[in-house]
Amino acid sequence: MKDSTGPAKEPIEGTDPAPLSDRFGAQISHGDIREVRGPLLVVGGAGGVGWDEFATIDLAGGESRHGLVLEVDRDLATLQVLESTDGMSLGGIGVRFDGRPLHVQVGTQWLGRVCNGRGEPLDGGPPVTGTATLPVSGWPLNPVYREPPQEPVLTGISVIDGLMTLVRGQKLPIFSVPGLPHLTLATQIAAQATSSGQSFRVVFAAMGLTHADIAFVRDRLEERSAEKELILLLNAADDPVIERILTPRIAPTIAEHLAYTESHDVLVVMSDMTSYAEAVREVSAARREIPARRGYPGYLYSDLATLYERCGRVKGHDGSVTIVPVLTMPAGDITHPVPDLTGYITEGQIVLAPDIAARGIYPPVDVLSSLSRLMRSGAGKGRTREDHPDVAAQVLAALARARQATELAELVGEAALSETDRSYILYRTLVEKGLFDQARDESRTLEDTLGRAWTALAALPDKELTMLPRVFLDRYLPRSGS
Amino acid sequence: MNGLTPVSEAALAPVRQALRASAESQVAEFRNGALQEVSAILASAQAEAAQIVTNAAAAGAASARTEAALRSSRVRREAHELVLARQSSVIEELRHQLAGTASKLQSDPRYPELLARLRENCQDLLGPEVSVSSSSDGGIIAVAGSRRLDLSLPVLAEMTLDSLPEARELWNR
Repeated sequence: MKDSTGPAKEPIEGTDPAPLSDRFGAQISHGDIREVRGPLLVVGGAGGVGWDEFATIDLAGGESRHGLVLEVDRDLATLQVLESTDGMSLGGIGVRFDGRPLHVQVGTQWLGRVCNGRGEPLDGGPPVTGTATLPVSGWPLNPVYREPPQEPVLTGISVIDGLMTLVRGQKLPIFSVPGLPHLTLATQIAAQATSSGQSFRVVFAAMGLTHADIAFVRDRLEERSAEKELILLLNAADDPVIERILTPRIAPTIAEHLAYTESHDVLVVMSDMTSYAEAVREVSAARREIPARRGYPGYLYSDLATLYERCGRVKGHDGSVTIVPVLTMPAGDITHPVPDLTGYITEGQIVLAPDIAARGIYPPVDVLSSLSRLMRSGAGKGRTREDHPDVAAQVLAALARARQATELAELVGEAALSETDRSYILYRTLVEKGLFDQARDESRTLEDTLGRAWTALAALPDKELTMLPRVFLDRYLPRSGS
Repeated sequence: MNGLTPVSEAALAPVRQALRASAESQVAEFRNGALQEVSAILASAQAEAAQIVTNAAAAGAASARTEAALRSSRVRREAHELVLARQSSVIEELRHQLAGTASKLQSDPRYPELLARLRENCQDLLGPEVSVSSSSDGGIIAVAGSRRLDLSLPVLAEMTLDSLPEARELWNR
């Protein structure tokens, strides 16, 4: 265990190289291969090997593959081979155990690079090197040294910035269902997000995406990547499942270093966490663990927490790590273990809804089901604009009333509604078309977003704007003819 | 010839005139209505056409912008990948040269001392029953049962290269 009394000190191993002989142990090649079963490899004579240890598997032809120790029984170690066991036979295999779980080198050299799910280059470049070597599982952070999330991360997307502001150090997931443009939204956030005053960096971890989706993500994020502000970790749907377990660990490991050592504000976008959870389920089944809800292991909650809780801000360090995980709810079921457990850990959620997408609104955010619990720490005077929290509250309250009015209109007809109810229906159209609907490559300033919110609110009679102080109405409400 | 008497003709003349006048005024009304309708349809069609042209121009400009951005991003990516590929080949070349040079260290006066220390390391790691043989590239290869430890000079050189921060700088510039 790491000493947890101090601030987030990082074990910088690469800066003070140990004698070469210390690494001879990791060069011992074990040739007693007992069994090759599915993706698993059973190695004998492997005393002293530990769980989750990383290993290199040398094949007879000179090829190297990689593996993770899933189980240890006396001197028998069971490994899951990352690149699958295709073409392997019992003879001629040598397994070198690393003596520790997977470590990655971290540093600014990652910026602008495109790698696979376990951090190996996909862009034809040399392996990424860095100034320190850190375990991908990270270290638990002493809670006393955490700083509460504060100040906004602006995404340039009106509905998010205006109504559910993302805050530096927050974890805010996007809940979606298959078929909705959640990846487009996540990519747009990664392409546009900024924070005031600080240099902003993005780590985009893709898990289980199709090659078409990966091509889209690469094209869309190329500009930021070329500016050396972005790191892409891409695990495709046909890549090894266990690699998907490493991807969301490598991403925060790189991000933590960029944030707390290099003082950047870092946004980590992880898409799709449901694919990750399915990989966890598969590995758990291979370890013959007792399945819990829907076959997921009982520790899924704490497993997800070890990823999501790596965001935050730390005392004495300027940077921050903000996490936006994307997850698809199978059959739109919000009680599915992955969104359910995610919802317990994260600070709010952005929910996408098919009926809103069907009305042609992008991003199809169901604002009445969405929430950023930390918005008050990131919005308002001195952070965004003085009227921001009140405008957001008024927009939401008016939308709730507009929904009631719409339901009433379906029963009795719009003509039978009161003048006020009709103004709410007009308001809903204005707010959806003017504020929420946005082009997929459009980045709006916060001033523009709030201006659009005020324009929509102007459709309501003044007496309905009860959540806005008179001084704000006088200052910001556009009057007809003005 | 309609077979009416002149008297009847004369009597019906005002009726006919009235009918004719009413028909003519109705015709004029229809014509005016039709003309108005035509001009309204024309105006709305022209407005719609103008709107379509504006939308098409905007959509075309947007798609051209997207296409241009896409192309430029792909070209930039290709250029970046060329640089990275060059860096990769530099490393490969370095590793290749290093492996060749490492084998030549066998003639170094400190080589026997290195071998003795490597043997000690092998015994520490694999136990006293370890069987140690010399590698053709220099250095040693130790075997104990199913365990094998390759400490030949090219392997040691590679391990050293991986641990040197200043070596990384060569391809990170």
